[in-house]
Amino acid sequence: MADLRTYTIIYVLLLVLGTGKFVFFEFDFAYSVAIGGTILLAVAKIGLIAAYYQHLIEEPRSITYMMATAVFMVFLLTIAAGYSIQ
Amino acid sequence: MADLPPMTTVKRWLVTTNHKDVGILYIATAIFFLLLGGAMALIFRIQLWEPGGVGILTGNEFNQAVTTHGLLMVFWFLSPIASGFANYLVPLQIGAKDLAFPRMNALSYWFYLFSGVLLIISFFQQGTFAGGWTMYAPLNVPTYTPAMEATTGGNAVILGLMLFVISITIGTVNFLVTIHRSRAEGLGLWNMPMFTWSWLLTVWMMLFAFAALLAALLLLVSDRVLLTQYFATDQGSSLLWAHLFWFFGHPEVYIVFFPALGIMFETFQTFTGRRLVGRKWVIIAMVLVAVQSFLVWMHHMFLTTINLEIKTLMMATTIGISLPFDLMVFALIYTMVKGRVRFTTPFLFSLGALVLFILGGITGVFLGAVVLDYEFRGTYWVVAHFHYVMVSGVTALVAGLYYWWPKITGKMYSETLGKLNFAVYFIGFNMLYFPMFLAWETPRRVFHFAEGAQIYHRVATVGAFILGLSFLIMILTFAKSWVSGPDAPDNPWEFSRTAEWAVPSPPPLENWDGRPSYASGRLEFVEDSPAATDGGVAHGQGNQAEATIEHEEEHADHASIWPFGIGVGTFVFFLGLSGLTPYIVDFAEGTPNPPEGLTTVPEPSMLYPILTVLGIGIMGVTLYKFGMEDFEVPEMNIAERWPFGGVGNTKFGVWVFLASDVVVFGAIIGAYIFMRIHMGWHEWTTVPFASWPGLLNTYVLLTSSFTVILALVMAERKNKKGLLGAMTATLLLGLTFMGVKAYEYSVKFADGEYWWYGLEYSIYYVTTGMHALHVILGLFIAVFMIYRIISVDAYLEDHRPVEFFGLYWHFVDIVWVLLFPLFYLM
Repeated sequence: MADLRTYTIIYVLLLVLGTGKFVFFEFDFAYSVAIGGTILLAVAKIGLIAAYYQHLIEEPRSITYMMATAVFMVFLLTIAAGYSIQ
Repeated sequence: MADLPPMTTVKRWLVTTNHKDVGILYIATAIFFLLLGGAMALIFRIQLWEPGGVGILTGNEFNQAVTTHGLLMVFWFLSPIASGFANYLVPLQIGAKDLAFPRMNALSYWFYLFSGVLLIISFFQQGTFAGGWTMYAPLNVPTYTPAMEATTGGNAVILGLMLFVISITIGTVNFLVTIHRSRAEGLGLWNMPMFTWSWLLTVWMMLFAFAALLAALLLLVSDRVLLTQYFATDQGSSLLWAHLFWFFGHPEVYIVFFPALGIMFETFQTFTGRRLVGRKWVIIAMVLVAVQSFLVWMHHMFLTTINLEIKTLMMATTIGISLPFDLMVFALIYTMVKGRVRFTTPFLFSLGALVLFILGGITGVFLGAVVLDYEFRGTYWVVAHFHYVMVSGVTALVAGLYYWWPKITGKMYSETLGKLNFAVYFIGFNMLYFPMFLAWETPRRVFHFAEGAQIYHRVATVGAFILGLSFLIMILTFAKSWVSGPDAPDNPWEFSRTAEWAVPSPPPLENWDGRPSYASGRLEFVEDSPAATDGGVAHGQGNQAEATIEHEEEHADHASIWPFGIGVGTFVFFLGLSGLTPYIVDFAEGTPNPPEGLTTVPEPSMLYPILTVLGIGIMGVTLYKFGMEDFEVPEMNIAERWPFGGVGNTKFGVWVFLASDVVVFGAIIGAYIFMRIHMGWHEWTTVPFASWPGLLNTYVLLTSSFTVILALVMAERKNKKGLLGAMTATLLLGLTFMGVKAYEYSVKFADGEYWWYGLEYSIYYVTTGMHALHVILGLFIAVFMIYRIISVDAYLEDHRPVEFFGLYWHFVDIVWVLLFPLFYLM
């Protein structure tokens, strides 16, 4: 389990990344850039929370695979359904 | 809790958490629902005696009977009876003493039973749901339901189905933890019995598929009770429902069929005296089907407006999924060829199931082809095909009943009666369903058909009664066996090899005296010295005192009334919810912008708000008692746990639950994205009045995640003040989050913009509301934990519950990471 210092650094990082999403849309970025940037920031945030706050990096890798499968199911449903009406 | 009362008392069945008792409860209840669903079928088969109906049902009653028949058979009979077998047999087959979470197992049964009771009650709420078992939009929402009086009963059915799915989810978590973490020493996955293999894959499919259905039902309940607009607009509602429903619905076919397949594998091996031919390849084929089952769902949507490219792709994947099934069918045939067949009743039913399944599978290939499906869709060809598939599964499940009856009851049955049962069943089945292929031009779900098809429908109706008779013969056979059948030996079948046959019939409460082990390559029962149970390394013999302590520590509880209590509370709560729509309509009509289309609704009845509050009260008390109860469930010291070793049962269970919740939330977020794409991405109206409340709540929730981590650190340091402070801070931050949310909603309400105001509003309120509901549930847990920390210094010696709470809370935080940009920024 990581120490308090690591958790604090991650907390600060999460605040910064959260603010970053807001900045993308409040300042004069192209819509596509703002969406792309926001997705990247969201992925980074989720990764940090899952890996450190939920200690996924210390658990058996199979749990990560199981969660990745669940996320895959969501992407599969959303992307295929979205594509089906293009 | 005290030991279990005897089986002859009612109390035993209310408090039991033992897997075999729960299995029996599941099987008995599922058979009751089979008979009820069968009665519905007989009623509408009479109506189908002549074109236009014989007049015993009105149009709406016919719809109700057909709908309830489908719902009962697919949901309340097929999966639960398999769940009953799995409850009884899987722990026995893998060498465990019980499931990983026995109280949760009992809870999932009570949720199942009460969900069915909700469905039955719906008939007495001025009519049950009548929109077909697939509940297609927009027939599933009150605006488009012709008989508006049916709203309350329809709500009860949808809420009942939701409770059923919750039951399934709890069971899924339980079985995944059990099968992955409680296998006897030496029992690797490859060597697991075939029924357990089929059930393992079933529950993996259930985990992801039923989560999508739960999401769909949550949205539907929201539409029906709160008047949101998910499935009531002309902006993609019917497509959204079809996607969500069939993403669940196609894997459901295999979820229903796999346990039956497992029974076929077991019985073929036992009654041919031969190991399944190509056993390893059969397992691989089953894994392939489980994966592919999630890649074919749009073949149920060939007649919708989805594009031709995706239809073609889904046609290819559909043809692809038949290939692993071919392998399984040939494996069964070759097992017969290579072995020496004994035509017992279970084998006859299994063989019958194989024959019927082959016919059902081949006729399904027609429907998988886009062009042919244009012709066959919505006709009796579909009805005939899926009954040949689904009811061939029932045939194998009946084989399972005969196969394991001696084990479960300790009594042998009459082979003569059993064979008579099979003969009547097989004749009735084919008389009922085969003419439907010939009458294929008959449209589904109506009782009007061409004069020329009358003969086929009449034969089918006669066949239905013969099939019904076969179930009466089955019940008679079992009743006779129960009353006067000879005692069954441990193993009545010469060549059965799985572990349940190595113990008495019926098995003792804790299944085994010694510890089952396959370490030597065959099943043995070993007596462990107390010192060896700490991980398998023997340190020499302990003295008598140590052995006694060890024995006491190993004591497992088998009785708790609280799962039943929670079941009652949830049932009362859901029943209350079913009648709240009129109150919401009254409220909505008093606002500046009421919803359109709701012209008639039932009269409000005070009974329902009272039931809702009462249900919440009962749930509160029983959940508290459940949380406080001292209930021992020893974890197996020596077990095979690949690939989930190195993590405790409860933590793994929390992760499995979270995986399911990922799909629930993901499907709800996916619904937002789908509807926005359908509307035109830039046509979307952003609902929140400003983005700063979202940003503020992002900071609040991230900070609460940090305080939860602090709580864990403090618990590890055994620092009570620190733990209490961090948990209290989490609670306050959660309340702050809810306060900001309430303010945000109130600004919209002040402008008369409620959740029925438009599709964007429905999606915004429901998605953020679902998230808020998760926060509220987390806050209840936090309050309970704070109370425990103050009252009994909890979590200082064992900090795991703080970690488990953190896993959930961080997940809630992760969801907000996505909701903030989606609803406030984009």
